[in-house]
Amino acid sequence: MKRILLICLFAVAVTVASHARTLVVAVNTALPDLKAAVAEAADGDTIKVKKGYYYSYNTLITKRLTIIGDGYPVLDANYKEEVVTILANGVTFSGFVLKNSKTGSMRDYAGIRLHKVHNVTISNNRLINNFFGIYLSDCDHVSVIGNTTSGTGTELTAGNGIHAWQCHDVIIMNNYSTRHRDGIYFEFVKKSRIISNTSERNFRYGLHFMFSDDDLYQKNTFRNNGSGVAVMYSKRIRMFDNLFIENWGSSIYGLLLKDITRSQIVGNRFVRNTTGIYMEGCNLMTANNNTFINNGWAMRILANCENGRFERNNFESNSFDVTTNGVLNLNKFDQNYWDKYEGYDLNKDGTGDVPYRPVSLYAQIMEQIPQSVMLMRSFMVNLLDKVERAIPSLTPESVKDINPKMKPWTR
Amino acid sequence: MIVLLALWITACSQKPEALQYGKDACVHCMMTIMDRKFGAEIVTSKGKIYKFDSAECMLGYISEKRGQFGDADTYLVVNYKSGGTLMDARKCTYIHDQKISSPMGGNLAALASEQEAKTFLGNGNGKLLTWNELVK
Repeated sequence: MKRILLICLFAVAVTVASHARTLVVAVNTALPDLKAAVAEAADGDTIKVKKGYYYSYNTLITKRLTIIGDGYPVLDANYKEEVVTILANGVTFSGFVLKNSKTGSMRDYAGIRLHKVHNVTISNNRLINNFFGIYLSDCDHVSVIGNTTSGTGTELTAGNGIHAWQCHDVIIMNNYSTRHRDGIYFEFVKKSRIISNTSERNFRYGLHFMFSDDDLYQKNTFRNNGSGVAVMYSKRIRMFDNLFIENWGSSIYGLLLKDITRSQIVGNRFVRNTTGIYMEGCNLMTANNNTFINNGWAMRILANCENGRFERNNFESNSFDVTTNGVLNLNKFDQNYWDKYEGYDLNKDGTGDVPYRPVSLYAQIMEQIPQSVMLMRSFMVNLLDKVERAIPSLTPESVKDINPKMKPWTR
Repeated sequence: MIVLLALWITACSQKPEALQYGKDACVHCMMTIMDRKFGAEIVTSKGKIYKFDSAECMLGYISEKRGQFGDADTYLVVNYKSGGTLMDARKCTYIHDQKISSPMGGNLAALASEQEAKTFLGNGNGKLLTWNELVK
């Protein structure tokens, strides 16, 4: 009996599934906008929106629908509301231009908002001039793929491009974010992946983590943002194969790390940043196989960082390789390539025979008297550094690379 | 002589400085100060200025540097309602509510008076706090 019932149920399910309809939205038809189509549709239906210009004042998607834009139809909120809010599980939303959300200060208005949903895919949309671009709150198993979002472009009314709050198992992939406050923002987001995105010319950070654990970001590019990436108050973040480029200015960093533990920085490139990596209050960090080229400061590690391992990195053409504000105990530098290394390799094993001390005497002086920056590259400073290298006495004994490489690591 | 005197007087002024949103960085969390609803500042009795992106950052900094700041120093916070304007932090009323997304996750908003805070809170389930309750 039970089996027959099951078969019947299955049959019903199949017929229901096969009865999924496709509704077409077009201007001047029975279904003139997305809102009318959502009201008409049932779970499992597909809505196709034809090319055209539609006003959308916070259209609520409350059913399990596949919504596809045909030829990038425009949904415009005309600065009055959010554009679209998705409140149902299993929604696919793809191929739209969403623009002009309200820019309020009290509420975070967004182009696409997702609230308390799972198994939702947001793909290939273009978001233009919204306060927040894509806003996820209380979501899990959501994919955000191939979208571009361009914010308001004014500092005071810019929200975040892709904003996630209290989510887990989210994938953010192949998106482009610009003119926002933070390109991508994670707060209380666990076990999520950020892969192959580009964040550029955002006002604050390209990517920002707050209180988010066990996340991975890989193969992203962060160009010319306020700062590249900030990871704060988080644990076990993996940062692999990213490019941090041209994040310039006072108190601006390629990668800013504050109070984080057990995180890995592997295979990244830091090019032309004021400070490549800034670390404060970081424990059990590993930074291996990274390349630092043409930065002001390649790494600035404050004395409250412990148990860091920095191995097999390339340091080339940086004004300062490593600086610190005290003694760096329990941090280990090993097998890095330093272009400023002037030692020798008598046994020709590719490793220098005398240790390299990356913190120069001049960097120590700069620490006490910042104004002495005006003496940079002067004869006196070079002389000081040369003497200190020959007879180390003032630079921290603990910071040294015992096995400096003679040639850069090839990547 | 007069110029020197003038310099000496201005050098010791304890005037607060407006927060440059989008430019200044928070002393405590290093973040650029961006959100006009939030922000805080300490002006010490000697006239040194510390800027913060939120009240919770200022509180964190004060407790971290225990003993460095005292009664003689001025604490200022930004009005959540009007944004951008600094008020005496000791005289403000604070709302602690999950709905308030302050920059450092403190869920804290500063308002000018208890009256203003109460009207703002309405029927919400946030909590009202005074400065003395916060510094504890």
